[in-house]
Amino acid sequence: MNRVTQGSLLKLAAAFLFLQALIITLAPAVRARTWDVDYRLSHWVAFFVWGLFVLRAHQSIVRQLPDADPYLFPMTSFLSGWGLLTVWRLDPAFGTRQAVWLIVSLLVFLFGLGLPSTLDFLRKYKYVLLSGGLLLTAFTLIFGTNPIGYGPRLWLGCCGLYFQPSEPLKLLLVAYLAAYLSDRIPIRLNAIPLLYPTILLSGVAILLLLFQRDLGTASIFIALYTIIIYLATGRRRTVVISLLILVFMGVAGYYLVDIIRARIDSWANPWTDPEGSSYQIIQSILAIAHGGLDGRGPGLGSPALVPVAISDFIYAAIAEETGLTGTVGLIAIFSILLIRGLRAAIFAPDIFRRLLAAGVTAYLGVQALLIISGNLRLLPLTGVTLPFISYGGSSLLTSFVALLILLHISNHVDEEPAPLPRPQPYYALGAFLCAGLFVAALANGWWSIVRGPDLLTRPDNPRRIIEDRYVPRGELLDRSNTVINGTQGTTGSYSRVYEYPALASVTGYNHPIYGQGGLEASLDEYLRGTRGNPAAAIWWNHLLYGMSPDGLDIRLSIDLNLQQRADALMEGQRGAVVLLNAQSGEIFVLSSHPTFDPADLNELGMEINKDPDKPLINRTAQGLYPLGTVIRPFAQAVTQTELQSAYEAFGLNRAPLIRMPVAEPVTDTNNGQDLHVSPLQVALAAAAFSNHGDIPAPRIATAVNTPNDGWVVLPALGAPRKALPAGTADETAQSLIVDGQNYWSHVGEAESDESPITWFIGGTPPNWQATPLVVVVLLEEDNVQLAEEIGSELLTAAMNP
Amino acid sequence: MIATLVLLLRLLLAIALYAFLGWTLWNLLREFKQQSDKLATQKKPGITLSIKPDQGSESKRQFSQPEILIGRDTKCDVSITDEALSAHHARLTYHHGQWWLEDLDSTNGTFLNREKLTTAAVVITGDHFKCGNTVFGIQVEDSDGLSLRDAFELGGLS
Repeated sequence: MNRVTQGSLLKLAAAFLFLQALIITLAPAVRARTWDVDYRLSHWVAFFVWGLFVLRAHQSIVRQLPDADPYLFPMTSFLSGWGLLTVWRLDPAFGTRQAVWLIVSLLVFLFGLGLPSTLDFLRKYKYVLLSGGLLLTAFTLIFGTNPIGYGPRLWLGCCGLYFQPSEPLKLLLVAYLAAYLSDRIPIRLNAIPLLYPTILLSGVAILLLLFQRDLGTASIFIALYTIIIYLATGRRRTVVISLLILVFMGVAGYYLVDIIRARIDSWANPWTDPEGSSYQIIQSILAIAHGGLDGRGPGLGSPALVPVAISDFIYAAIAEETGLTGTVGLIAIFSILLIRGLRAAIFAPDIFRRLLAAGVTAYLGVQALLIISGNLRLLPLTGVTLPFISYGGSSLLTSFVALLILLHISNHVDEEPAPLPRPQPYYALGAFLCAGLFVAALANGWWSIVRGPDLLTRPDNPRRIIEDRYVPRGELLDRSNTVINGTQGTTGSYSRVYEYPALASVTGYNHPIYGQGGLEASLDEYLRGTRGNPAAAIWWNHLLYGMSPDGLDIRLSIDLNLQQRADALMEGQRGAVVLLNAQSGEIFVLSSHPTFDPADLNELGMEINKDPDKPLINRTAQGLYPLGTVIRPFAQAVTQTELQSAYEAFGLNRAPLIRMPVAEPVTDTNNGQDLHVSPLQVALAAAAFSNHGDIPAPRIATAVNTPNDGWVVLPALGAPRKALPAGTADETAQSLIVDGQNYWSHVGEAESDESPITWFIGGTPPNWQATPLVVVVLLEEDNVQLAEEIGSELLTAAMNP
Repeated sequence: MIATLVLLLRLLLAIALYAFLGWTLWNLLREFKQQSDKLATQKKPGITLSIKPDQGSESKRQFSQPEILIGRDTKCDVSITDEALSAHHARLTYHHGQWWLEDLDSTNGTFLNREKLTTAAVVITGDHFKCGNTVFGIQVEDSDGLSLRDAFELGGLS
């Protein structure tokens, strides 16, 4: 009966792992979206190692422990196989080592099956075993190393093999406590002195771990000690005292120990320092969010982006690739394992084995809870392993020894369970572990379903950069569909090309390291394809690839001919030029100088931020300059002495609504309440003179090329507004026309903190029959003549196409 | 194309995971049913107590439940108005194939065959014990063909 149950469960586990291995093999083809790829094959070694040894262990269990619990081994085999494939998929080198450790663990396991089920030797040699464990752990203080070369030195190692003595020490402590307490249980445990030896030895163990700064293991020790004393004595007091000690230690540690403070701070407020101390936890949450409900599929996520994904963050890796569906299953498997472990405890034939089984179960449960909660930001991070799953030889071996103990204890048929005068603590332990896992499942759902979609749009989500290489980004085109910023390459190697770098301050950049700027940032949703595509296509692509559909091209109102002309005129200058359609608000020219070439970002790096020329600033919309005397015609038009009413009438005190990064105007209180505005704002205000008093709503992105409906107009965000009565506007424009010119113009000067400022504004006269135009030239120097030259040449060129 | 195929495999993967869990739960349920059936059919040997209060006549009562609580409290299975008895005085339980007597921290103690009881002890036919001023005689029904002597030895208490 047991044999059949265990066998059929193992077959299902093998089916799961086979499918997982198959998907990992095919994953590169899905990523590249072609059959012609190098398929992953090496992890099949892991699958066969798992299959061979699990089959062998199954046969031995059936033969040697025929009455053992038939669920324990399938659960743990399932978990260890899942872990092994995940580790291998993350890093084949570590996967190979983990496979070797699985073989070692199962060999030890097979040997252990032959031991007597009474486990008397553990009882007899409890002091020898615990002291040995403590001694080995103490050695790490002197000879300790870390396999990766840095970090806490918790390992003893030689010749490429590393062992962490604190892992088996956990089991040894459990065995010691169970043996000691079961010998004394018939005597009433009222007397605290009876507990002295356990307090002493556990205290030594905990102090050792605190010295090593292995805080996670130290907290597990405190938890295990509490749980076993509670199980043995049934006194709730022990739990309360322990909790108080833990809280006290936490508070004291927070103020006294840097590493604890760092851990707790990064846990409590992760979003304040996403690049620094909270990097790990944020990456973990992003991975879980990316998994969503269905997961990206084994081999198809990017869990390697989370630091130490193979051990501390393997839960996040599994959550990303199998989603909530997978992790709920994983949590359920853990729950069944724990419940069966506690069942073995309840039915144990003597008190020693009962305490031992419950303690071993508590060890597996508490450790799993700690690290899963750490990954989900339910608890501060503690660097412990997820039993059976995480990479780590000592952990895997210890977990299998724990399983061995549970199997032995569950293997009895003739003996009746020992009397259980106080069942309450056992229920409480089971309820606590299951409730903890349930809360973890809920938290997982919170991150992956509720908060996930928002989190993934965070600019520090590194998956967006990967997506940029696999999904072609939409292109930015000028008004006659000439490419300004384009995409080149093929799936897996797409990159951005900047055909007209002089516009870079405006169109911005999309860079894997330095992020996004300009229109690339403000139009990102369309360019990335998460907006404008049919919802079904977005959903389907996310389901298949975990990515968005192809990005959509966007047509800008920019006229590259005029733009080139403006840039040629501005060559070598510092300033900005704006030319726009005074009626429709379409912007033809946005010239900001000095500028930069996004292609050089790789070499320039963040040095560009320190450039005194500020090339990253789009001077046309993000540069703020004092208005100075350029305000005069506006003030005259509203016939008010108070400048504030002119600002109000022409909307100069508000940032324009446009799909482009713009700066909010600021009032310079030091300098006579002068308003600092962007050239774009001045151009819009000036449009009133050429457009009979109306200020148009500005537009830069005019249309988006959707797959279903072709080019779809992107309407202006704002609405046109009336600044002046048509008559007043026309009169003012007429008064600004210089004799012999066919356009109105005005020159203003101002002083900014850094340099003198020259403004030129000009536009088509009120009676102009063709497209009404406005131009604004801004120079960061005192040069009226140059400003007039540039303005008039550009305006004339635009008026006579 | 390949992505759709892999999507199908991913679906199968999720099904395999939940099939594993479902099959586990199904087996657990079956095991639970088997155990309940087994317990339901399991025979428990009854016990007969001859109760002799300090004053008054001896009475005999037969019990079939596995736990008998003795005390002054009216909720006890054997409730006796005896001033020397505690509210919950002693308990007889059946497990490990025999009947056990234990004292429940009573004021005046429980005496099995005149000796004061400190831990739970096995009782067999012919034993008598005293709670307060009441004396109880024990007669265990012989069941399952298992003699009391055998049960005694199996319990490892000889």
